[in-house]
Amino acid sequence: MPEFLDYFQFVLAPQMLNGLSLGVAVILMALGLTIIFGLLDVINMAHGEFYAIGAFLALSVGALGFDFWVMLAVVPLMMVPIGWLTEQVLIQRVFHSRERHILTLLLTFGFGMVLEDVLKLVYGPNTQKPPTPIGGGTEILGIFLPNYRLFLIVFGAALILAVWLVVFRSRLGAMVRAAAWDKDMASSLGVPVRLVYSGTFAFGVALAGLSGVLLAPIYSVFPTMGRDFILMAFTVVIVGGMGSIQGAVVAGVLLTQVQAISSLYISPVWSDPLVFGIMVMVLMVRPQGLFGKLGNA
Amino acid sequence: MRDVMLSGRLATRGGGAVRNAVHLLALVFLLLAIAFGVIAWAAGDTFYLRLATEALIFAGLAMSVDILLGYTGLLSLGQALYFGLGAYTSAVVLRDIGPSFWLAMGMTLVLATLAGTLGGFIANRVKGVYFALITFGLAQVVAKVVYNTRELGASDGLIGVPEITIPLGLFTVEAANPAAFFLFVLAFVLLLYAGIAYLMDTPFGRTLTAIRANDRRVPFLGSNPLVYRMLAYVLAANVAALTGALYPMLRGFVSPELMFFHTSGNAVITVIVGGVGTLIGPILGSVLLTALRSVVGTWTEHHLIVIGVLFMLSVILLPKGLIGAIRPWLQHRLTGSETPR
Amino acid sequence: MSAAALSVHDLTVNFGALVAVNSISFDAAPGRITSVIGPNGAGKSSLFNLISGAIRPTAGMVRLEGVDVTGRPPFRMLAAGLARSFQITNLFFELSVIENLRLAAQILEPPLRSLLPVARSPRALRRADELLESFGLSGKAHELAGSLSHGEQRRLEIAVALAGYPRVLLLDEPTQGMSHGDTAETAEMIRRLAGEMTVLLIEHDIGLVMTLSDHVVVMHQGRKLAEGTPAAVRADPAVQAAYFGHA
Repeated sequence: MPEFLDYFQFVLAPQMLNGLSLGVAVILMALGLTIIFGLLDVINMAHGEFYAIGAFLALSVGALGFDFWVMLAVVPLMMVPIGWLTEQVLIQRVFHSRERHILTLLLTFGFGMVLEDVLKLVYGPNTQKPPTPIGGGTEILGIFLPNYRLFLIVFGAALILAVWLVVFRSRLGAMVRAAAWDKDMASSLGVPVRLVYSGTFAFGVALAGLSGVLLAPIYSVFPTMGRDFILMAFTVVIVGGMGSIQGAVVAGVLLTQVQAISSLYISPVWSDPLVFGIMVMVLMVRPQGLFGKLGNA
Repeated sequence: MRDVMLSGRLATRGGGAVRNAVHLLALVFLLLAIAFGVIAWAAGDTFYLRLATEALIFAGLAMSVDILLGYTGLLSLGQALYFGLGAYTSAVVLRDIGPSFWLAMGMTLVLATLAGTLGGFIANRVKGVYFALITFGLAQVVAKVVYNTRELGASDGLIGVPEITIPLGLFTVEAANPAAFFLFVLAFVLLLYAGIAYLMDTPFGRTLTAIRANDRRVPFLGSNPLVYRMLAYVLAANVAALTGALYPMLRGFVSPELMFFHTSGNAVITVIVGGVGTLIGPILGSVLLTALRSVVGTWTEHHLIVIGVLFMLSVILLPKGLIGAIRPWLQHRLTGSETPR
Repeated sequence: MSAAALSVHDLTVNFGALVAVNSISFDAAPGRITSVIGPNGAGKSSLFNLISGAIRPTAGMVRLEGVDVTGRPPFRMLAAGLARSFQITNLFFELSVIENLRLAAQILEPPLRSLLPVARSPRALRRADELLESFGLSGKAHELAGSLSHGEQRRLEIAVALAGYPRVLLLDEPTQGMSHGDTAETAEMIRRLAGEMTVLLIEHDIGLVMTLSDHVVVMHQGRKLAEGTPAAVRADPAVQAAYFGHA
């Protein structure tokens, strides 16, 4: 028994907490994706690039001499007009097409490609490592954890809770849910559906940017940083149920824990296929994912 | 019987003029390509012949995307998986077993059929955007495993694939000879094109088109859409893999990049820009985009911006791609009458 | 009893708590027109979906000419002799009219013809031509199905269902949205069809049902309320209360 406790304290628990800090960031990414899909039926393939833009903007804000807390507040605000414009200029153009799903997917994919190259053009292709904003570590119940990871878990959880409250408890969220459920009915009830679409897209993009700010100190910053992350986020969204907020949270925690714990026993190379395998199995049993879509929740 | 033949011809999508226009394009393309090959050979060029050969190889990958997207209505974002499978299989066979073209192609055919069946079984559980995301994930995961597998050269890929001689009965083709190999790949890709074009105009292919148009009615006509989607998927996997198998013969190496999303995405771009559901569009698209990349590449290394913008414009402005844009004009010239839809 | 072309026994399906079709039994006599009527939400379309294999029943049995076909997928139903049309026009709108019919008639050819050029499937082509003719669509053969008028689309919908020579034909509101003239024409056509096959019909136009049907099944809230000849059903007090009372 004491052996197990030691194992838990020094091996398992830190790994789980690491997984949790990654999980929180993945959930923030997935939330943006799933809210955009739930409302607009748009698969945003450029989400990973928006995440990268968030991280790079944080570098720029930092280079101007501002500290981390300013980045945290300012970068999401800078992302809002980017997302707004993307929705207005790209998504709206094909929104009423019969093949909206595929067309918006292709458009955002092309846009992501352009954005990635623009980042390379502006910031150069090299990897940059921002300083850790909160140094040191804390011992909790005998488990040592870097302070920044601790902050990430707490702050991220608070943020997820805030998103939840906005979507399910606020008037604004009620409008979004109404528009997702039946846009014509919502429109006749006086919901400014067009505005809600653009606003929601911008909100999702801001969340991606915020994840970028939060994860930059851990994973470094480079133009293609979104690529690896986006697959995990999509996996979370599919397993949780496309368009489901609860689903994104549950699947986000679950899958990142599987990844974290499994990489103790198998080569990390195989933890990706393992997570993907779980997704395939979920799809076999419940093609709609674990939870239902936004409007129906 | 005469009546039957008549409606047989008329029952083709939009009648004969459309097909004639496409076949004419294929013929013009073939002649231009041969002319290019001869001129480049006479000028003693290697670089452009190699580049053009590569464009044709990636045209095969694009055709495989078109079988799924343009005919069956399935967007695959992971077709590079099978392209890479073919390339790696070919590289391993040529390097470690023996420099036999036919053995490499045979192994590729077997493995692509197996992998395509397995992948199709997973991906065809779902439709629409889910299909796109599953194929994306499947390719990404396999690519990562290859990227980390030392036996397959990991991130470096496999180098040192020997230059082979391809026996073709009456004569042989030296892969090391740029002009000869270019003509060989040209013939290979156009034969694939002809084969697929034939298949897409049989009742089998027409049923795929029906699935694209309305997959909910197909079962009530007595066909199981899942079976057809599986067949289309395995066919597309083989087309991608067989052209992928030519890659190491051209370049002498393979790298994990061939499997990554970049490659799959480029194939989708090629199909959209060239013309979805036309088969010849992806071939022309591949040649044009390769040329464009090479031209833009002389000015700036940021050709992704140019290609990306071009791609987005195609999606918005040219839903039928370049072929869709020139075909009405061609048909008009061919028939001298108003253009049918 | 055993002579029934289509026999439904205790057929039931529930979606969660809702029992859409509740223990329905009836027989459709060969070469006759059997109609299923009932108010909106009575479960008529669900019944058709169960019989044609589009959804699997929770309980019960469907027999086609004595053969148990319960829960068979739709794509195996045509081989068993059953075809259906849809209430909401369900065609290949991006394809030509003739191609819609040719696709539907391909079932008449041996499977290997699937890999030969389309022109080498003479039976399917002849069948498509024949249907074009008899449904008055010859002039529109090469128009896209999506560009046809509503009435023409409804006709094509039935023609597509007929292409494979079904012995039992399920028609789901064939006259939906049709003009008066078209409705009368369609009624006449259904009457002619009944000479060659068994017809099961869902129809909203009660007048049409009463003149056309040999046998009527009345559904209400998923259950069978009554069945019998049109006259008998019309006289049934329960039917009058539940159905004609609203009409």
